[in-house]
Amino acid sequence: MENITKKIRAVAKQALINKEIDKILGWKKGDLWSESYPVFITKPEDADSLIWDSFCINNLSKYLIKELPKYDKIGIFIKGCDSTSFNQLLKDNRINRENVVLYGIPCEGMVDPEKVKKIMLNDRVTRVKKSENGFTLTNKNTSKDVLGEEIKYDKCLTCTSPNPVVYDQLLGDVVNNNVNREDRFKGVEEIESMTPDERYNFWKGEFQRCLRCNACRDICPACSCVKCVFDNSDAEISGKAKTEGEDTFFHIVRAYHVAGRCVDCGECARICPAGIPLDKLNRKIIKDINEVYGEFNAGLDSTTPAPLVTFKLEDADTFSKQGGK
Amino acid sequence: MKKILKTKLPELWQKIDADFDLFLPIEKNKTLNFSLWKEGEKVNLDRVRTNASPKHLVFPQTETYLKFKNENKKLSLEVVEAEGDEYVLFGVRPCDVKSFKLLDNIFLRDPVDTYYKVHRDRGIIISLGCSNPEDTCFCTSFGVEAASAPEGADIAAWDMGDSFLWKTQSEKGQKLMESVEEFFTDAHEKDLKTLEHEKDNIREKLKELPFSNIDLSKIKGTQQEIFDQEEIWNEFSEKCLACGTCSYLCPTCHCYDLCDYKGSNKGEKFRCWDSCMSSDFTLMAHGNPRTSQMQRLRQRFMHKLVYYPKNHEGVYSCVGCGRCADRCPVHIDIVKIIKKLGGEKNEL
Ligand code: SF4
Ligand code: SF4
Ligand code: SF4
Ligand code: SF4
Ligand code: SF4
Repeated sequence: MENITKKIRAVAKQALINKEIDKILGWKKGDLWSESYPVFITKPEDADSLIWDSFCINNLSKYLIKELPKYDKIGIFIKGCDSTSFNQLLKDNRINRENVVLYGIPCEGMVDPEKVKKIMLNDRVTRVKKSENGFTLTNKNTSKDVLGEEIKYDKCLTCTSPNPVVYDQLLGDVVNNNVNREDRFKGVEEIESMTPDERYNFWKGEFQRCLRCNACRDICPACSCVKCVFDNSDAEISGKAKTEGEDTFFHIVRAYHVAGRCVDCGECARICPAGIPLDKLNRKIIKDINEVYGEFNAGLDSTTPAPLVTFKLEDADTFSKQGGK
Repeated sequence: MKKILKTKLPELWQKIDADFDLFLPIEKNKTLNFSLWKEGEKVNLDRVRTNASPKHLVFPQTETYLKFKNENKKLSLEVVEAEGDEYVLFGVRPCDVKSFKLLDNIFLRDPVDTYYKVHRDRGIIISLGCSNPEDTCFCTSFGVEAASAPEGADIAAWDMGDSFLWKTQSEKGQKLMESVEEFFTDAHEKDLKTLEHEKDNIREKLKELPFSNIDLSKIKGTQQEIFDQEEIWNEFSEKCLACGTCSYLCPTCHCYDLCDYKGSNKGEKFRCWDSCMSSDFTLMAHGNPRTSQMQRLRQRFMHKLVYYPKNHEGVYSCVGCGRCADRCPVHIDIVKIIKKLGGEKNEL
């Protein structure tokens, strides 16, 4: 990881000095062991604060929507899941490929601070460091070895594209995480096996905790409308009311809106302050799409038409018969 | 001072639950929040910080106060009373206890907010000392006493390992205490000594926290000067997602919006939490005075660190609970802002 940090700094500095880019989006270390956060850099000398570690979870792609209109060319570091997000933004015509320089980073998975705290809560962890078989958690007095599976984010445990699927330059060796593509649907299958009433109650219970903070929408690379319907006060559905009907409405509209465009990056579920498993909702739709239209992974490239916006005569569902209830 | 063995807690919860709505930090689906207690719920009193603050109990996220109907061209109005019974809130950390006082400053001054007052009057607050503060806690910077009994708690409690010590601090607390006396014994001299020891322990731990030395006095300049530091506000807001996580989780954020549900011939007027981070914040008939995210993010921190103290004898509208530091998806938090406004170079 230190090696990649060195590369990141060198690449950023050079590109800024050579004026190949006007700005670079990367990550920086905060005061806490768990804190690596987005930083935007325009001065070559600031490039030395860039880092790469097990907490660089933030996807920088979505920032391009707001940043690109201000600059001619922007450089950005991109992990596997960030790269699929990038492709989706391209496909939705929200950004231009020519204005971006992509530095790809093969990703070995990011660490979930919540999981670390569960293992060493109240023991004042000061450092989490990659070790041979996993990680070493250290505090003032002691250290503890844990396996990667114990502390990686859920989304990383089922990640099917740890290597960037699009980049201009790759910094680091390709990783192989041996994930079974089907594993990510286990959570969906659990819910599918419930009776309709159980399913209804399950989601009702989940949505009840929703704070309507909109973080799931705001971090999502498939949510890129210029004006979201939930921000449109004229539409009278801006829906700040915390009621069962409004919460359900919000979630169903959101899930359907990203159907076929959700890249399964898992960011919505990761950042939800209410711990709502939005990934299960999105993945249900991905699974259905796969079953009905054939396997499709949004974001794998930026050109394949998405199944829900295209119609072919040989489609499994020809719309000729009445579907649903 | 009274003492209760932890093994007696289930009985205590039952007894309190018979007379009151009992809210405890309950763990459910990866989150810890103050929720209504039921037999079998997973109560977690070890972790200091609940995901959301308990402010929803005194300031519900959505509250209907008026219903209206139009029948045969005749308009009728029905005032809706504040809902909810008397309740006991156990395990409130000193920072959250203080946040109630900060909300009182807003809602109980003239004209008194009658809904808030009803919720506030109905509650009995039992605080719990923070034996194990988290990395992102920085309450000390805001004068919160995480070890001592916080002002505003009806009863103050401390975790002593296999028991809790309770100190009643108000009439309400005394009445509750009398109704559950059977589960308690008098604390001995020895217990009090151990408590003093525990308090010292807590203070030591607080000193070692990464943010323990946040210094607000370093923020210099007039309101206008701080407001005008656009470079700083831009740097932060560039990265802000404009989600409302920070304000909705924050125990002291209290902005609300007034909205209507409109049916064809009847409807409801309600108020609900607002957030300076949402695009329609401060939207008025004439338009919106805050059109950029920079202006909205600036509002959040100006409110906490400048406007509120100006209106309330220098008291900041932050209690250092660390929720924003813990949950902002992109790690913008009030600690970074304080440091940056205080002139620390290396932030951002
Ligand atoms: S989902 Fe994959 S690419 Fe994204 S952070 Fe996790 S392991 Fe890395
Ligand atoms: S992030 Fe979570 S709490 Fe916020 S709106 Fe989305 S589902 Fe609700
Ligand atoms: S819906 Fe969630 S998983 Fe899908 S693209 Fe958006 S943030 Fe990623
Ligand atoms: S601003 Fe942050 S630390 Fe301060 S009270 Fe609000 S959530 Fe807590
Ligand atoms: S939680 Fe963070 S990203 Fe979201 S609005 Fe607050 S400061 Fe911005």
